Amino acid sequence: MKNRIWFGIAILMIFLISVPFVASDYWVTLLTLILIFTVYAAGWNLFSGLTGYTNFGLAWFIGVSGYVSSLLIADYGLYWLFAWPIGATFTSFVSIGVGYILLRIKGVYFAISMVALTEGTRELFGTEYLSPMTHGGKGVPFVAGISLSTLYWAILLLAVITLVLCYKITSSKFGLRLLAIREDEQAAETLGIHTTKDKIIAFVLSAFLVGLAGAIHFTYQNYIDPSFAFSIHLTLTPIVMTLFGGVGTVFGPVIGATLFTFIHEILWAELTLLYMAIFGGILMTLILFFPQGLLGWMKERGILPRIRKI
Amino acid sequence: MEPILRIHDVVKKFGEVVALDHCSFEIEPGTITGLIGPNGAGKTTLFNLITGVLEPDHGHIYLKGEKITGKKPYEIARRGVGRTYQIIRVFPKMTLLENLIVVGRGMERRLIERAMGLLRFVKLDEKRNDYASDLSFGQQKLLSLAQVLMPDPQLVLLDEPAAGINPTLQNDLMALIHQLNEEGKTFIIVEHDMNVIMNHCQNAIALNYGQKIAEGSCSVIQKDERLLEHYFGR
Repeated sequence: MKNRIWFGIAILMIFLISVPFVASDYWVTLLTLILIFTVYAAGWNLFSGLTGYTNFGLAWFIGVSGYVSSLLIADYGLYWLFAWPIGATFTSFVSIGVGYILLRIKGVYFAISMVALTEGTRELFGTEYLSPMTHGGKGVPFVAGISLSTLYWAILLLAVITLVLCYKITSSKFGLRLLAIREDEQAAETLGIHTTKDKIIAFVLSAFLVGLAGAIHFTYQNYIDPSFAFSIHLTLTPIVMTLFGGVGTVFGPVIGATLFTFIHEILWAELTLLYMAIFGGILMTLILFFPQGLLGWMKERGILPRIRKI
Repeated sequence: MEPILRIHDVVKKFGEVVALDHCSFEIEPGTITGLIGPNGAGKTTLFNLITGVLEPDHGHIYLKGEKITGKKPYEIARRGVGRTYQIIRVFPKMTLLENLIVVGRGMERRLIERAMGLLRFVKLDEKRNDYASDLSFGQQKLLSLAQVLMPDPQLVLLDEPAAGINPTLQNDLMALIHQLNEEGKTFIIVEHDMNVIMNHCQNAIALNYGQKIAEGSCSVIQKDERLLEHYFGR
């Protein structure tokens, strides 16, 4: 059984790595977007899915890291390979401070404060005052000099690292402590769990992974502006994908991101005028009938074993 | 012998309400002490102060001679204080084994062994892979006790451990507590059922309106006129 799983993973990896050689740019582009959103969704799930602190400021991670890396490439001529991790590292560092302050606030108030932070940062990046640095509201067009194939392989590597990390964490003691925070934070603390520390570590790790994917995302777009970088869609889409696949599971986000992107693509191509309406219908059906997401539902029905490693 | 816990002149107010009013007492190691008093007497507040969930407005709390006032709950827990809640607060969507492992400290392999040992101790080992939410109320109380014992605390605070469970399970639970007490653990038990206190505790402390109104061995306290007046409204 174990050998068969590894064999399957190997085949899938060979297939994914060889896509740029065998498929058209359309498919490479589609897969690139799926992988970017896989990292967004898995990164969101790593923090919010496990701790229960709903992060409605995912776009803040994406936007801050996207801006830092894009500006480094556009204005300072930095090579993309260096610009991306600098963007993500910067975002993680700022997240330590943000986490330290905002992770004291529980429930819906934390979610709202993250939205406020994102909106505030969007305004800030668009102001005249900062425009010598950020180019203000008119945005930053740039060319990073990276081929589509290389960019695809980069995001593929990041997605694989992210999933391995999520797998390791979800089935570790650290992952269990994050779940304990979701279940009952005060009880966890009186049982000796340093909840503040664990929350901040997970938050910062999520910021780094999502930030790195954000940097790649805007390099792929060759353009960044405040309303695009801090768009609420960048927050909501990965959350919906995770709900779709299964909150708190390891592979839910990747399944969610894949299915969601394909359905979106098909509906958009075939039923351009109706696609939002149909999409809304599918979402409502899912939330009504599969509130734990696809994987959560399969675990509950006994189709999959009820273990944390899936 | 140095007291394991010393409460010194502790005051806690919630607005105008004085929940604890210059309360002082000591707990000797290796004892089982009952904490009694009517609703609102300040018993749970006292537990919250000892575990660091709340901070006193005045006075200090010492654990094995060390001042723990102002320390965070997790720091106090790591110094050897365990606590169960009146409303059970195990982690519902985690398995029994996970509920224990998550609060243990040390190597994972040793933790699994210890957790299994504790689950056997409370006779829940066969349900180790069930979610805690699938257990009955009484079983959740036992799980909660096993969970508190997982980090091997020296001082265990139990908030109404016997409430709401059937007499057989109640006896099992109290037998477990006596066994642990003989192994050297100190217990403070909040309980409304006076029979539980009189049958199982060596000492008792009575609170009313945040003030300590009586203290001593159970046999003495049983005859305390002031206590009887307050507690039973005689």
